[in-house]
Amino acid sequence: MSKSEKKIVLKSLDNEAFEVEKAVALQSQTIWVMCEDKCVGNEIPLENVTGQILAKVIDYCKKHAVVDGDGDESSEELKNWDTEFTKNMDQSTLFNMILAANYLNIKSLLNLTCQAVADKTKTIDEFHTFLNIENNFTPEEEAQICQENLWAFDD
Amino acid sequence: MSVHIIFRAEKQSREPQPSLIMSLPDDIIVDIVARVPICYYPTVSLVSKSLRSLVASPELYTRRSLLGFAEHCLYVILYNYNTKNYRFYILRRKVHSNCLVIIRSFPCMPCSASFLTVGSKIYVVDSSSSLSIVCRSHTVQPISHIPMCVYNKVAGIIDGKIYVIGDWWWKRVTVFDTETQMWEPKMIKPDMELGNTLLIEGVVIEDKIYMRDFEDSFRCWSVVKGLEKFLLKMTSSWWSQTVSYGGKLALFFCKDGDARKIWCAEIALERRQGGEILGKVQWCDVVIDDGIFRMVKCLAVTV
Repeated sequence: MSKSEKKIVLKSLDNEAFEVEKAVALQSQTIWVMCEDKCVGNEIPLENVTGQILAKVIDYCKKHAVVDGDGDESSEELKNWDTEFTKNMDQSTLFNMILAANYLNIKSLLNLTCQAVADKTKTIDEFHTFLNIENNFTPEEEAQICQENLWAFDD
Repeated sequence: MSVHIIFRAEKQSREPQPSLIMSLPDDIIVDIVARVPICYYPTVSLVSKSLRSLVASPELYTRRSLLGFAEHCLYVILYNYNTKNYRFYILRRKVHSNCLVIIRSFPCMPCSASFLTVGSKIYVVDSSSSLSIVCRSHTVQPISHIPMCVYNKVAGIIDGKIYVIGDWWWKRVTVFDTETQMWEPKMIKPDMELGNTLLIEGVVIEDKIYMRDFEDSFRCWSVVKGLEKFLLKMTSSWWSQTVSYGGKLALFFCKDGDARKIWCAEIALERRQGGEILGKVQWCDVVIDDGIFRMVKCLAVTV
């Protein structure tokens, strides 16, 4: 395989181009299918992902790729790296990372980001903002749920 | 009702936020909520109608199991000497302390009831009235009356069936099928002397209910090692109750003759090579101290 065949160009929604090793990009099942179909050239357009998010996704894939025997990180190290990776992500980035992981079909990244949201989501407000869901209860309904779950709320 | 449809309806009706223009697919919301510890589910119920129905849906718990997030909840039935009531309590786990909290939405329990867990449900079997409690949603449903009037009984579960052995002129066995939610019409008269059901408790091992003494697959009791120091602390307790769940034991007891305080210790068990079992105390807390109680039963439920 020539050097150029081992590389692939990913193009974001906002036309940012990223040249990456094929082994890195193929962690995405979506990209893998596109490459298999041979309907795209060496440049793959990803219309649902912005450059800012794609850069992070590529960082993740590089860390997790096994390229020419370089991927010999211990699982413990990788786990710590994953924790650091999502630790300081703001709500909007995390949200978009989930959407990107889902669209690109990278199962481990989806698991990681969903877990990060679950870990950061403990209060009602956090649920509203993280899951982008509005409160649609009437005050009466809310009071009834509180009554049913008194054991969980009263201190 | 399908969770899927509810999410869809809700999403259409709300204004998109500038930072989060797109919404998460329903399947991902299920995934995220399945990763949130169950103790936060009452909070999740208050977020929106869709999440409230999600928290009560079997789909969510199937996902929790698939992801390996099934949790064990500890329930306890306490008799309060002041109010003279038998009530359900749940062990609320917190980072720095664990405590028993009364579940006021459950009714008072009959004094002679047997309590059994099948999957994520608790069955309360009594001559006067029998109930099933769905622990995932904390809903209480009546089940049909036990077909025989029993005043002394032991009960155990084998293959999703509740076997109640009790006195009814003579010893009888009656069976409740938790699948069909019906009592089986045929009663069995065991051809053996059952002893005094008032004094003994039934224990189910594999497919047999043992009532007096019993043997496990190793044909003998094993000593759990590593707990000698801990057990010294609780020698002054005149009672204790144990329940096992997920390779752990929860041990409830009192200390120094103080009936106002109930302690609980969680002990992780590890089977070593050669069959030795090692116990390690994970935490030990006073879990209730606001009354004088008698512990009737503790139950571990997987939700």
